Amino acid sequence: MNLILIGMNHKTAPVEIRERLSIACTEGFNPLDEIKAIPGVGEALYLSTCNRVEILARTQEDTDAEERLKDLIFRHGNLREEDMARCLYVYRDSAAIRHLFRVAASLDSLIMGEPQILGQVKEAYRLAVDHQAAGIILNKLLHRAFRVAKRIRTETGIASHAVSVSYAAVELAKKIFGTLKGKKVLLIGAGEMSELAARHLLKHGGDRIFVANRTHERAIQMAADFQGVPVDFDHLGDSLREVDIVISSTGAAGYILTYDMIAAVLKRRKNRLLFLIDIAVPRDIDPRAGDIDNVYLYNMDNLQDIADDNMQIRKGEAEKGELIIAAEADRYIEWFNTLTVVPTIVSLKEKAAGIIRLELERSNGWLRNLREEDREGVEILANAIVNKILHDPMTCLKEESQEGSALAYVAAIRRLFRLDGPGGNE
Amino acid sequence: MDIDILLYRGALLAYLLSTLTYIFSLLIRRVSPARVATWILTGAFALHTLFFLGAWLGKGYNPFLRIHDILSFFAWVMAGVYLAFQLRTKTRVLGAFVSPVVFVLMIISSIGIGGPITVPEVLKGGLVTIHAMLSLIGEALFAVASVAGLVYLIQDGLIKRRKFSKFIKLFPSLQDLDRINHICLLWGVPLLTLGVLAGSIWARTVWGSIWQWDPKQIWTLTAWLIYAVLLHQRLAIGWKGHKTALLSVAAFVLLLATLLVEKSFFTTIHRFY
Repeated sequence: MNLILIGMNHKTAPVEIRERLSIACTEGFNPLDEIKAIPGVGEALYLSTCNRVEILARTQEDTDAEERLKDLIFRHGNLREEDMARCLYVYRDSAAIRHLFRVAASLDSLIMGEPQILGQVKEAYRLAVDHQAAGIILNKLLHRAFRVAKRIRTETGIASHAVSVSYAAVELAKKIFGTLKGKKVLLIGAGEMSELAARHLLKHGGDRIFVANRTHERAIQMAADFQGVPVDFDHLGDSLREVDIVISSTGAAGYILTYDMIAAVLKRRKNRLLFLIDIAVPRDIDPRAGDIDNVYLYNMDNLQDIADDNMQIRKGEAEKGELIIAAEADRYIEWFNTLTVVPTIVSLKEKAAGIIRLELERSNGWLRNLREEDREGVEILANAIVNKILHDPMTCLKEESQEGSALAYVAAIRRLFRLDGPGGNE
Repeated sequence: MDIDILLYRGALLAYLLSTLTYIFSLLIRRVSPARVATWILTGAFALHTLFFLGAWLGKGYNPFLRIHDILSFFAWVMAGVYLAFQLRTKTRVLGAFVSPVVFVLMIISSIGIGGPITVPEVLKGGLVTIHAMLSLIGEALFAVASVAGLVYLIQDGLIKRRKFSKFIKLFPSLQDLDRINHICLLWGVPLLTLGVLAGSIWARTVWGSIWQWDPKQIWTLTAWLIYAVLLHQRLAIGWKGHKTALLSVAAFVLLLATLLVEKSFFTTIHRFY
């Protein structure tokens, strides 16, 4: 089918080269017109994300389209050719189809199962359509890829387990509180991880952020970032009464929240559930606090364990995804094979119809003498004979196309019936 | 065969199917079969409801006279209460704990369903029906509260011990389970109270005294006391989560045990069937 996929991704290309690609990707550069101009390229798709650059093209046989496509990547990568050549992978036909499906389904992503890639593939396809670079083969292939991605998302657990620490915190919070709507979060201390977790909690419905910091100015500043409320660091007990989730990440040497403090607070908050997240090292919250009823305490390591476990689960689910991909790729190839049979059958029928028309005209002289009904009878007879004769070859073609070996039969039929016109069999 | 018996058998079969589907959902640790199971359970509940309606309208059937009918009614209320919660909270897999109980109750009930009924004179009266209905609904609510409590304890243990298995995902959130427990107590206690009051009034009119030192009376009063205290602690002291879940389960186990003892060793004025 002459599909070729050339590209590099985070697995094959080191970070220096990917940086170059990422520059190209932020510049919104799209070389589809250049690709289309290459002789022998019929249809093309150009996919560029910050982790991969790939060109998928349908080429004609016996052309140097492949070399020219590689050149194009080398030129835009702006690096030594030998360095880049090592990073390239080339897939053909069924391998190219499977690779495209894996990319779209996020099985080939740096963080397996991340959802952005499907959107990026869709965008690349939209560009290909806009540039009139997508034809019948790529249209069908891409739509199939979108469907495969959706199937894998719904039928396997590839995307259903949090694989980052902050998402693991959100998932846990949901398991405790059901919904995060109306839940208040207290952020003690500053830190990239804790702020990220707080943002995730807000995004999933968290109601309000309270911010405490040893330097109150910093608390005010951070509260402004989150549109939250700065609270007094020396009276954390009061804030603990109000909130449902606490994220602590101070640089303090001892415990900021002691066992007694939390036990006392829990009584005052009438035992409402309290989720404590301690991502400070050394720890901010006395680990024994986790033994108190209705208090759930997780530290950095616990959350990391969850994320790691979930990554393992995703990898297991990915194997199910591969099975779906293999089956869907086979289905696409099956379709592709009928595609070559269909025009053959159409031209075969057209040729037969032409012969019948011609012969009826030739016999017009004596047919004229017949009664109206008899003339119709002769036409029906002629049609019936031709259809009967063609029926078996056409059935055979359709059957062979299911087996994947139709091409030889298509060639034979075209030659035997001279379907490509006089001299077309040379 | 009567149409109502047919409906009853249909409900029984559907309860079995939903139980199996729920268990399958637990086994493969996926929530999607539980979704199907919930629909089957809804179907079973609908058939069961039609059975009650048909039997009541057609023959003036009273489900509060024989133990078999009472169990069937109890199962019906449990299923209904669970399905009502299902509408409001995402509690699908909780059904894996409710549905088997309902099914077992139905199996025991089915052994004697449709048999002859001899109603003693003392039980003929509208107040008896009201007494039995309210008490049973109250107790069924306690049963659901305890099932929610049991699942709460499992989920709480998993989260506390940081066993982030797939079960954690499957089970409802702690807060939802706690809310179910809360609402069941909130409705169960007043209903049982009214049921007991209705029974007492009836007892006074037929026996002249509200209290007979009957084992069933003692049992019911114990149940009422335990759950009333639990509800009080919840509302006034603010008991929540782990402790209430634990006590609900303990109370239910205790009540089941005393019920068994009572049934095996004592005769009761409640045993008319």
